[in-house]
Amino acid sequence: MRRILLTLTLLCSSASAADDLTARDLVEKAMDHWRGLTSWGISTMTIHRADWERSMTMESWSKGDKTTLVRVIEPRKDAGNATLLNDGTMWSFTPRINRIIKIPSSMMSQAWMGSDFSNKDIAKSTDIIDRYDHELTATETVDGHVQYTVTSVPHEDAAVVWGKEVLIVRDDYVLIEQQFWDQDGVLVKKMETLEVAEMGGRPVAKVLRMGEVDAPEEWTQLTTEEIKFNLKLSDNLFTLSNLRNPRQ
Amino acid sequence: MSDDLQNHGAVFSLLSLQLAWRNLWRHSRRTWLTAGAMIFSNVLLIFMISLQLGSYDMMINNTLRAFSGHIQLQAEGYNENQRMRRSIPSILSLTRRVRESLPDAAVSARAAAFALVSSEERSFGAQLIGVQPAWEPGVSTLPGLISEGRYLEDPDAAEIVIGAVMARNLKVGLGDEITLLGSGWDGSFAAGVVTVVGIYRSGMADLDRSLAQLPFGYFQATFFMQGHGHAIVVALDDLDQVAPALSTLQPLAGDDLVLLDWDALNPGLKQAIQADMSSAWLMYGVLIVLVAFSVLNTQLMSVMERTREFGVVSALGVRPSRLAMLVLLETALMALIGLAIGLFLGWLVALYFNTAGLSYPGMEEAAARFNLPDRIYPSVSPLSLLLGPVVVFGFCLLAAIYPAARLLRLRPVEAMRAA
Repeated sequence: MRRILLTLTLLCSSASAADDLTARDLVEKAMDHWRGLTSWGISTMTIHRADWERSMTMESWSKGDKTTLVRVIEPRKDAGNATLLNDGTMWSFTPRINRIIKIPSSMMSQAWMGSDFSNKDIAKSTDIIDRYDHELTATETVDGHVQYTVTSVPHEDAAVVWGKEVLIVRDDYVLIEQQFWDQDGVLVKKMETLEVAEMGGRPVAKVLRMGEVDAPEEWTQLTTEEIKFNLKLSDNLFTLSNLRNPRQ
Repeated sequence: MSDDLQNHGAVFSLLSLQLAWRNLWRHSRRTWLTAGAMIFSNVLLIFMISLQLGSYDMMINNTLRAFSGHIQLQAEGYNENQRMRRSIPSILSLTRRVRESLPDAAVSARAAAFALVSSEERSFGAQLIGVQPAWEPGVSTLPGLISEGRYLEDPDAAEIVIGAVMARNLKVGLGDEITLLGSGWDGSFAAGVVTVVGIYRSGMADLDRSLAQLPFGYFQATFFMQGHGHAIVVALDDLDQVAPALSTLQPLAGDDLVLLDWDALNPGLKQAIQADMSSAWLMYGVLIVLVAFSVLNTQLMSVMERTREFGVVSALGVRPSRLAMLVLLETALMALIGLAIGLFLGWLVALYFNTAGLSYPGMEEAAARFNLPDRIYPSVSPLSLLLGPVVVFGFCLLAAIYPAARLLRLRPVEAMRAA
């Protein structure tokens, strides 16, 4: 009897340790899957409000965890505006004034160009992996896929505005939903995957919609038009001089 | 018959009054001492209350004149959530109509955007306001607080006026360039390069750190406003004109716009004043209760020492209630002396400081924090003068109730035997 209990206890403890590992792995794999080792893509962002709507098309490059370049191609008025995230530092180039501006870290959580995405979201920042503790809180099967729900709570000392984030990751590592909860345990905004498609040789969250929970008529939708993963990208791509004068 | 009775009563109360007055001066030193306590507290209360009311008026007017004005016309919902798109279309023509309907008021249009302002070295988020250089000085004291350089002049120039703290944070001075980066009214990227022409120092940390002003025309072009703006600001001479102005402007507001008065624009202001007022009344309460106890003490003593006398009088047929009335009358007369002299002296003191102003060491720093000038001018009004003394008067009468009530239980025989 005692032996059975002991075995059970051991089983339980090892199971929970495995869960911890899995939760963090899930988040990391989802981020890796999202960004690839390197990636290039074209996407369209639609900002929807009760009385107006606006779209723009962007080209983006990413390399590793910490480097991203996004450049607006359309509308013509905004073409050439570009954002570079390099190891936690964000730079913005505006052709109208022909200047590069460093975005202070205090502005990283601010909305990107009036959209519902923050600067951080746009730069596909992956802070969440290291700055949060992850726990697998639910598992369910939807449309033949297993979906894992991971609840991520920021470390005590992490400079993060959210109280917790909840990620729903499919068994092929497509991020299905990301929820942002404030410090008081209220769900503030959420990003949902509306369409998953096979692109660039892997399943990709093709249509993402980000919106605040208490303003359902206001949302921003990001549609991936084209994407390629694991290309050879030169390091020169992610420099300030390329931000200003694109060589592509 | 009834005439006779009334006449009788009148003579009687006149007699009581005379009696009360004489009784008071049987111990003139004691009366003066007690009345002195009242006078002192009345003068002190008048001084404090008029100082307080004066500083509230100043606080309100300074806060309103600094930036918000007395009334603003805005798009529905803009005050709660300052979104770029919650704007007033064709704001300049509406502003002209507001100006026509309120010829005595100062009226100016504004547009606002949150943007990143950067110098060569640093970047900060800031609230940018597009203002009409010709009209803004009428609704806001900020243009007058320029400590370096000048205020905006040309409505279309690429110029900016920033606060002293922002200038220090950005490490810029007059003539330096600042870049602006934000999003325009149509959602597109808005950016501009402007020259710092003026630096203001308002003493209000929030404004000095995060508010910058640009000419309205330049703001329109940079943020693709297409004639839209966010607020029409109305500044009046004093708070009493707010209600009539609101009703004048109501037809102009229509269905899409809202009129906001100063309280809606500065929600903390009234609460701060109420909180300060109630904490001050706690202190005044202590003072008033002390005075009331001194009256209680005096009147109780004067009743006790006259026990024999009262006994004799009541044995002669005077009803105890009349005796009680007599004591109350004595107190009322004494309190009236305190009220009259206290009011007169208090009025003199308040009047003096009302013209000369009042300042004390260390006040300058405190004043800067609360957006007050370094001199306070107490307000002289019926309210500020009468509020304290009337409350003191009331409490003194209340204090006399106990000594007077003792007389109702007076037994003539025992009283006459009392030492």
